Amino acid sequence: MLTVLIYGAVTSAILAMLAVGFTLIFGVARILNLAHGAFYALGAYCAYSFTALLKLPLIVSALLSVGIVAVFGMAMERVLVRPLRQSSLAVLMITLVTALTLEQVLFVVFGSQSKNVPAFVNFPLDVGGVSVDGQRLLALVIAVVLIGALWLFIQRTRLGSAILAVSQDPEAAQYMGIPANRIFTLVMGLSAALAGAAGVIAGPFLSVRPTMDQTAMITAFSVVIVGGLGSIPGSILAACIIGFSQTLVAFYFNPEWTGTVSLVAILLTLVIRPSGLMGRVVNA
Amino acid sequence: MRRLVPLVTTALFAGGLALSAPASAARKPILIGLDTPIQLQVGKDTIAAVKMAVDEINAKGGVLGRKLSYVAADEGTDPQLGVSAINKLTSDDHADVLIGGYDSGVQLAEEPHIARSKTIWLGVGAASPNITALVGKHYGEYKYIFRVNPLNSALQATQIVDFADHVVKGKLHRTKVAILGESAIWVRGLVPVLVKGLERDGIKVTYQQLFDETMTDFTPLFARVKDSGAQFLLTILSHANSDVFIKQLYEARLPMPYGGIDVKSMTPNFCSRVNGDAVGETTVNFITRAPITKKTIPFWDKFVKENGRAPVYTAPGAYNAVYLYAWAVKKAGTTNADKVIKELQKADYLGVAGRIKFNKLHDDLDGPGYQNLLFVQWQKGCKRAVVWPESVATGKVVLPPWVASK
Repeated sequence: MLTVLIYGAVTSAILAMLAVGFTLIFGVARILNLAHGAFYALGAYCAYSFTALLKLPLIVSALLSVGIVAVFGMAMERVLVRPLRQSSLAVLMITLVTALTLEQVLFVVFGSQSKNVPAFVNFPLDVGGVSVDGQRLLALVIAVVLIGALWLFIQRTRLGSAILAVSQDPEAAQYMGIPANRIFTLVMGLSAALAGAAGVIAGPFLSVRPTMDQTAMITAFSVVIVGGLGSIPGSILAACIIGFSQTLVAFYFNPEWTGTVSLVAILLTLVIRPSGLMGRVVNA
Repeated sequence: MRRLVPLVTTALFAGGLALSAPASAARKPILIGLDTPIQLQVGKDTIAAVKMAVDEINAKGGVLGRKLSYVAADEGTDPQLGVSAINKLTSDDHADVLIGGYDSGVQLAEEPHIARSKTIWLGVGAASPNITALVGKHYGEYKYIFRVNPLNSALQATQIVDFADHVVKGKLHRTKVAILGESAIWVRGLVPVLVKGLERDGIKVTYQQLFDETMTDFTPLFARVKDSGAQFLLTILSHANSDVFIKQLYEARLPMPYGGIDVKSMTPNFCSRVNGDAVGETTVNFITRAPITKKTIPFWDKFVKENGRAPVYTAPGAYNAVYLYAWAVKKAGTTNADKVIKELQKADYLGVAGRIKFNKLHDDLDGPGYQNLLFVQWQKGCKRAVVWPESVATGKVVLPPWVASK
């Protein structure tokens, strides 16, 4: 049982990293970013390129990778998304096209075979008698630290207050002198960085291949639907529910069925509570 | 969208087209169509080995005064792409013979199209027994299908049982095994034979599970293997993500030796690619740098010299297939498929990995002197040693480091 708890916590942490960024950009800018999974893939491939090809130290590679993904996210918001923001459908399309384009680029540049990102911790650790891969535990710790830091940043800083203000009413925030567009760019950068970091830390023990964005996107989407679009606490709660459910199914039933957990969760949520666990009900 | 790249990159690898001799220039070259996943190592090595054989044969004047040339089409690991590749090679390029294959599912989808085109196909990569079973069921339609390489998965299962009996039980003294394999056609054909053979030899199968080849987290499976009381893990992997499988197995420190079929681990740089985590893994192979036949080492060395890497299993198959076809055409005195088929059926050809002779289903035979499985283990320093069969062994089987240290 302890094994399930540990692995469930790791899975939940990775899901939360993916989902929090996805829900953040939706909550603040109302952007349903279908390129979010691509940020995750880009982070993993950057880490692979810096470590395996350029032979840079791991920590440098990790920081560079997260930085590059953040810049990519901000550039995407500024160049591709902002001109189309008036139409949510156009935004949906442009982010989808970005994701597909990036997937193709990775496919052409790196080929279809999976790549190996070296682990920061390449030995198992004993946790209450259970041998756990050190990299997974590190991923858990990093996820908790990053999400905690993001939470503090939003709640305790002036910039965080500005983000909250824009998320509640962009126009009013603009009248109060808050540059809403810059906030959108910043939030997209934060969102991308978080997904990129998930790719960097999960890359060593999961698969790094061009199509990795698809699973990440579906999972992030599921978590956010269950948690409630735009709600960070909801996403964290949903990540835990889905992460532990997937682990239970994998260990006690059949690992092949883990993918269906997310889909069942979406179905149940849409039927029972369409706004999600902690989402706001919006009357059209 | 994903299919766009393979289609765009469906590359033409024209070889041997140089019009060096005026006499042969006047005659159309014999065209070999390669249906292979050109993005994967198995496909790259198929092409490289065919090029090697074609260059050698052309340097000696070609066949029946005609040069050989080849053209490749990407069949990926997608049946639809495979069918397109076959149709392109047969209808557009008018290939005289087809050489290739890797994914059994793709192969089975291609076969009706190959049969309709009445073009001889020499398989070098797919292992499902169903591929050649069609020759027996509908000979008139499917007589064009031959498997030069690898051994079909049922024969592979028999040889794995032999390995388990002599090495797992005989040398490592382990009598309980678990089986983990990808859920693919060739594996589904192999596992029942494997289980039956193991149990007949007094080896208990404590757990068996086939998983989807897209799976990326194997930790729950390893937990189940461990809980089952298994003392050895038999793996059957080809398309699955072996890199991640091996890394996670290493990280889980599964307390037992392991081995079986792992196609990606046949790649020469596999062990270093996974940072040495594969040390202790035993995987079957079809060729290694050992005097299996008098042709093995010259082929191996030349391949390494020309390509800067050691060959994977499709390379010896593809190289043999070109020579075998050239031999049959020469004997038949024509490229007419029906006449060449008759010669291929009579062939007893010494290839680079053993003798090649076809049974009634046009499947390559195993046994002494023929092509057989080699069990190769990654050992200290990511060096490879053949540990079974003993007649060609270059080292003794060792335990994975974390098992040996206990």
